[in-house]
Amino acid sequence: MDLSNDLAAQLNAGAILPEGLVIVTLMAVLVIDLIVGRKASSWLPYVAIAGLFATVAALVLQWDNPNPLAFFDSFNSDDLSVIFRGIIALSTVITILMSIRYIEQSGTSLAEFMAIMLTATLGAMFLSGANDLVMIFVSLETLSISSYLMTGYTKRDPRSNEAALKYLLIGAASSAIFLYGVSLLYGLSGGETNLAQIAAQLAQGDSDQALGLAIALVFSIAGIAFKISAVPFHQWTPDVYEGSPTPVVAFLSVGSKAAGFALALRMLLTAFESVTVEWHFIFTALAILSMILGNVVALAQTSMKRMLAYSSIAQAGFVMLGMIAGTEAGYASMVFYLLIYLFMNLGAFTCVILFSLRTGTDQISDYAGLYQKDALLTLALSICLLSLGGIPPMAGFFGKIYLFWAGWQAGLYGLVLLGLVTSVISIYYYIRVVKMMVVKEPQEMSDAVQNYPPIRWNLTGMRPLQVGIVFSLITTSLAGILSNPLLTLANNSITQTDLFHVANAAAVETVAQVAEDADPVAQ
Amino acid sequence: MNSGIDLQGSFIQTLTEFGLPQDVARALWIPLPMVLVVIGAVVGVLVTVWLERKVSAAAQQRIGPEFAGPLGVLQPVADGLKLVFKEDVTPNKSDPWLFTLGPILVVIPVILSYLIVPFGQNLLITDLNVGIFLWIALSSIAPIGLLMSGYSSNNKYSLLGGLRAAAQSISYEIPLALAVLAVVMMSNSLSTIDIVEQQSGYGILGWNIWRQPVGFLIFWIAALAECERLPFDLPEAEEELVAGYQTEYSGMRFALFYVGSYINLVLSALIVAILYLGGWEFPIPLDQLAGWLGVSETTPWLQMLTASLGIIMTILKAYVLVFLAVLLRWTLPRVRIDQLLNLGWKFLLPVALVNLLLTAGLKLVFPVAFGG
Amino acid sequence: MNLAEDVQLISFGLLGVLMIAAALGVVLLDQIVYSAFLLGGVFLCMSGLYVLLNADFVAAAQILVYVGAVNVLILFAIMLVNKQETFKPVGNRWLRQGATALVCVGLFALLSTMVLATPWVVDTTVVLTSTVVQIGKHFFSDYLLPFELASVLLLMAMVGAIILARRDFIPEKMATDTQDALTLPERPRELTGTVSDR
Repeated sequence: MDLSNDLAAQLNAGAILPEGLVIVTLMAVLVIDLIVGRKASSWLPYVAIAGLFATVAALVLQWDNPNPLAFFDSFNSDDLSVIFRGIIALSTVITILMSIRYIEQSGTSLAEFMAIMLTATLGAMFLSGANDLVMIFVSLETLSISSYLMTGYTKRDPRSNEAALKYLLIGAASSAIFLYGVSLLYGLSGGETNLAQIAAQLAQGDSDQALGLAIALVFSIAGIAFKISAVPFHQWTPDVYEGSPTPVVAFLSVGSKAAGFALALRMLLTAFESVTVEWHFIFTALAILSMILGNVVALAQTSMKRMLAYSSIAQAGFVMLGMIAGTEAGYASMVFYLLIYLFMNLGAFTCVILFSLRTGTDQISDYAGLYQKDALLTLALSICLLSLGGIPPMAGFFGKIYLFWAGWQAGLYGLVLLGLVTSVISIYYYIRVVKMMVVKEPQEMSDAVQNYPPIRWNLTGMRPLQVGIVFSLITTSLAGILSNPLLTLANNSITQTDLFHVANAAAVETVAQVAEDADPVAQ
Repeated sequence: MNSGIDLQGSFIQTLTEFGLPQDVARALWIPLPMVLVVIGAVVGVLVTVWLERKVSAAAQQRIGPEFAGPLGVLQPVADGLKLVFKEDVTPNKSDPWLFTLGPILVVIPVILSYLIVPFGQNLLITDLNVGIFLWIALSSIAPIGLLMSGYSSNNKYSLLGGLRAAAQSISYEIPLALAVLAVVMMSNSLSTIDIVEQQSGYGILGWNIWRQPVGFLIFWIAALAECERLPFDLPEAEEELVAGYQTEYSGMRFALFYVGSYINLVLSALIVAILYLGGWEFPIPLDQLAGWLGVSETTPWLQMLTASLGIIMTILKAYVLVFLAVLLRWTLPRVRIDQLLNLGWKFLLPVALVNLLLTAGLKLVFPVAFGG
Repeated sequence: MNLAEDVQLISFGLLGVLMIAAALGVVLLDQIVYSAFLLGGVFLCMSGLYVLLNADFVAAAQILVYVGAVNVLILFAIMLVNKQETFKPVGNRWLRQGATALVCVGLFALLSTMVLATPWVVDTTVVLTSTVVQIGKHFFSDYLLPFELASVLLLMAMVGAIILARRDFIPEKMATDTQDALTLPERPRELTGTVSDR
């Protein structure tokens, strides 16, 4: 029917083709599992991965879309959203690779896990492009609710239950706060839900609205900071990371966090454009706290997953630096760092999963002497951790350099210095693990490593895990040296997005002022 | 379509003609429908109770009540009087507040639902544009009252009965709402008036039961379950639960439950009549009949006739359905609780969904017959 | 459905007072069952407020969803796990309560200052057509995408709830030989250890 064609053109439905592919994959996984049953579980993950690769391909086609607004402006498929959606889809691919064996061993069903994971991906992807308050909230809830479900997925494990409950309660509270802030925005703008229109309305508003706008800002940031686990809103992170299934943690630390940053960028740069100084100030505080607390507390951790939790808090602090810089280089460095963080963090988590699958533990002390038993695992984990710490010539080093450079250019001297200091602290706890694995003599080996089972890659789901490890190992070690394509990608995504051209004019004026505001706090 | 009789308008007009100010007349009107509803509902219950006793007697080849009044018609009144004078016992260690509030919460929403039942073009209390949806929403309050009384009785049978009642009414509310949704889709409105009008014009052939046979069955089964009538009277299954959530109740508070369940039955029958059996419509289209006979639509006696026929038709249809429910009660065995839930979730729900989908498809293909 | 102004004002005051009282009861009462029942009261009052705002469909939906489903489920959960347990009173309880009250009063003061200080834009347009129609039009025009996404969200919430609630099935081959007439078809399956290689 030409009516439907007409409608699709009118809605610009092509803009959500990648999300459509995710939905199709999701339905395919659910329905195939329903019809074929248990037998399908050996090849079902590959259906999901194929679907996600198709999604990434569709995203590539979306690049430089001349007409990004879709569905009556409720979704924006500009380059910024494309790159964030790409990060999210790739993180899901790697997460699925690592989860096959994990789910198999935990004795739960794989198909539903992947379906929920794909829903979370869908929510995160929609969140990256959401341009309307209603859309933002619905996609945020899609992401959150599927995250709660995944967190409690291994329901016979009391720690998983505890994690799910904590995550659910804190998450629901933060959603409520976010919703309150958003509803204030709706009221202040005189009944608009579209971000651009809200910005336009707020720009006309008088000074009486300042208090309302400030409260709306604080409440919205509270909701966003919960998603990216920035410091005063981070309490859930260690417990949830420790208790929930490790693949879920990997997704939460990369996919969910990237979506949070995309939401932060879009919302703060459009709707809250008139209070740029204020949100820069709040984010400065969040970044300082996250970098200090994340890195310092990580020093004291004995569990690998908890350590990675605090490390992810600290990493969020580093990424926020790029946001506060407020320049194109700052945003580009954010995107670049998230791209690299995707590979190195997921690589680290894959290694942790492999180790715990073989030994059943994730205590740091149990890693002692792993080098003698499993060289590949040791190598991959070391490279990923060193990269997270920012040791040259790994990818993480270049990411951090770019972030700090952008921050320095923008005049955030205090913050950058703090970032450097905390990076050095972070290197200590990353290296500690590496040292534990490599330097120990055979007699100092932990019991877990002494009873290390023979390495067999031919078990169900082991091969994808190996692929995941090798892939992230290669990207993490090479992306640093050959970082140019990624760098260009990140830069293009920023320069070709309209969002920043509007924001830039405002940002340039405020940057100098913000730098002055930020400095005394940093010292 | 003529507008029939406007009771409110004529009432206020009459009073103002007597010299009363408009506002006072309006204020006088406000309590009238409420009183009317309560009286109507109670009378309906009395009739239903009598019907139930007589039909059950006939089903078991007994005579039934015969001494109180002709054919025992006063028997329900006697029953009611007995309950009024009975000692009102509050069990030890129960929660007196919740114990009293429970039955009240069960009855009030049911009576409130009479707001939307039309007996004629203008013969209803309010024509809300959420009409039938209000009934669904109000009927979902009742489980809270049941849970409350089950919990506060301090009796395990009561608690189990209350929990079962809540589970049952939640489960069956979904197919019920979906069946209603299919009808609403055809009439393009939630208002009960519009739903009936959409069925009018072709007499018995225009009734929704022909277009929604599956929906009718789903609705009837779900409505029986909502009323906790046999074969779905699990919450008060004697063999397992003594009397369910009513176990500890006596006197007036028990009477509230009793009245509530019968009002609910009559109400459900009325709603079925409205949704599927053409409401106040006569099986032969009266307007056309009048047109053939050469009587003008605006003739007063014709209007009177249509209005009273409307009321009679609605009540008649409802009582045929009540009779059917009573008959079902004495002929069918009770289902088990797991069968009940299975029937609701695994059979009625999918069938109702398919019915909804089919209705939507048919509406697109044959907009003439299925309300374009 | 436009009630006269006075009636509207009185109803608003009444509903507001009732709602705040019920909400305070939810928070302050010690018996959790009372809190749950009062929560139902709060929801009912809220739907009354929606009626005053001429949002009749939302009001009915509020009753159906929150009172009829959410609150009943909360009560269900409370009654099914209603364990009489005596808790040891926490020392210095007044200190915690005082601090909480302080924070709440502070937040309330802040928000009410904000509400009073802000010049809100008041929408005076009267919706003449049915609210149901309006909602439907919005769902299928400017809010189409969130509406459709919500369907995926609900589907997954349903799947997830079933996953969390169901007992795991034992594999088919084990089920056949132990199946008696009276045993349940499902039972918790044996834990597969984290170390075992199957």
